[in-house]
Amino acid sequence: MQDSVVLVKVDDFFNWGRKNSLWPMTFGLACCAIEMMATGAAKYDLERFGCGAFMATPRRADLMIVAGTVTLKMATRIKVLYEQMASPKYVISMGSCSNKGGPYWQHGYHVLKGVDEIVPVDVYVPGCPPRPEALIEGIMTLQKKIATERPLRDKWVKHV
Amino acid sequence: MFDELLSDLKAKFPSVSIELDKREVGDSVLIVDAASLFEVSQYLKESTRWDFNVLQVITGHDLPPDFIAVTYILASYRQNSELLLRVKLGRQNPKVKSVVPLWPAANFQERECYDMLGVQFEGHPDLRRILCPEDWEGFPLRKDYKAAESYNGMEIYPQEKLNLADRQFGKKGQKSVEVTETVE
Repeated sequence: MQDSVVLVKVDDFFNWGRKNSLWPMTFGLACCAIEMMATGAAKYDLERFGCGAFMATPRRADLMIVAGTVTLKMATRIKVLYEQMASPKYVISMGSCSNKGGPYWQHGYHVLKGVDEIVPVDVYVPGCPPRPEALIEGIMTLQKKIATERPLRDKWVKHV
Repeated sequence: MFDELLSDLKAKFPSVSIELDKREVGDSVLIVDAASLFEVSQYLKESTRWDFNVLQVITGHDLPPDFIAVTYILASYRQNSELLLRVKLGRQNPKVKSVVPLWPAANFQERECYDMLGVQFEGHPDLRRILCPEDWEGFPLRKDYKAAESYNGMEIYPQEKLNLADRQFGKKGQKSVEVTETVE
C-alpha cells in the first residue's frame, strides 16, 4: 500500500480526534498536583483544550501528567500505571522534580532523578511548580506533536 | 512547672535517674532512663496532677558516636502544659519499650522513628517501615547512612545527569577547577 493523499487525510482525521480529546489520568504526586488541579478548575479551564476529563483509571486515560516528586517507592508504581494505559499514550513530565530530580538532585537518596528513567516522556514542563499557564503550554505543545504523527502510514506503509 | 515536676518524679521513682535539661531560651527537656520510660510515661499520663493526655510527636535524632535520642512531646489539654520527654539509647542496639498502650497515637510515630533511625520499640503491635519501601536497606536519618547505588534496578545517582561540573556554582568558567568526570 502506498502513502497517498487519502492516507494523509485519514491520518489527519485521527490526529484531530486524538489531540482534541486527551484524557489525562487523575494522578498527582506532590505540590505540582495542586497546580494541575488549578489548571483543571474554572479559572484556567483545561476543558477548553479538550483535555479536562480527568479519568480515575489508567485504562481509560491517554495522557499521564507526572505532577510531582517521583520517589523510588512510587517509581515502580508509575511504571505499572503507565503499562496499564492503552495505546496511544503520552506522558508530560511536570515540574523540576519529575524532570530531573529538582531540589533532590544532589542529596535525594529516595528520589528518582527524572521520570524519564522509567517511562518515555513526550513533553517536559519546567518550573517549581509550573504555573497553570505553563502546563497549558505543555499540553498545547503535546497537541502540536500529536498533530504531526502518522499512525496509519506507520502501521501499513513499508519502506516509504 | 519543671522543678515541681522533677521533684515529684524523683519522689515517685527514687531509683530512676531523671535529669532536667533546663533552658532559658527554647524548651526544657526531661531526660529519663530508657528502662523506666514506660512507667514514667504512665505516671505522667494517669496522675491527675500532670495529666498529659496527648502525645503530640515522637521524634528521633542521631548523636554519633554513642547515642540515638528519642523525644516524646507530651501535652496536657486540661492543664494547658507541654513537656519534652527524652530517652538516650545506645547507638548499636537502640531499644525502648513502646508507649502504644498508653497513647495509640504513638503507633505511626514509632513506626516512622523505626523507619528513619532503626529504633526498636518493644511491644509495638505492628513495627514495620512506614515511609520507605518494605525492602529498603539502612536507616536514612542516621549520620553514617550511605545512599544506595540503585534500588530495584533504578540508578539513584546517574552520573550523566548530575552535572558535576556545575556543582561548584560560580566557578564553572574558571580554569582552576578540574573536571574529572567524563560525560558520555
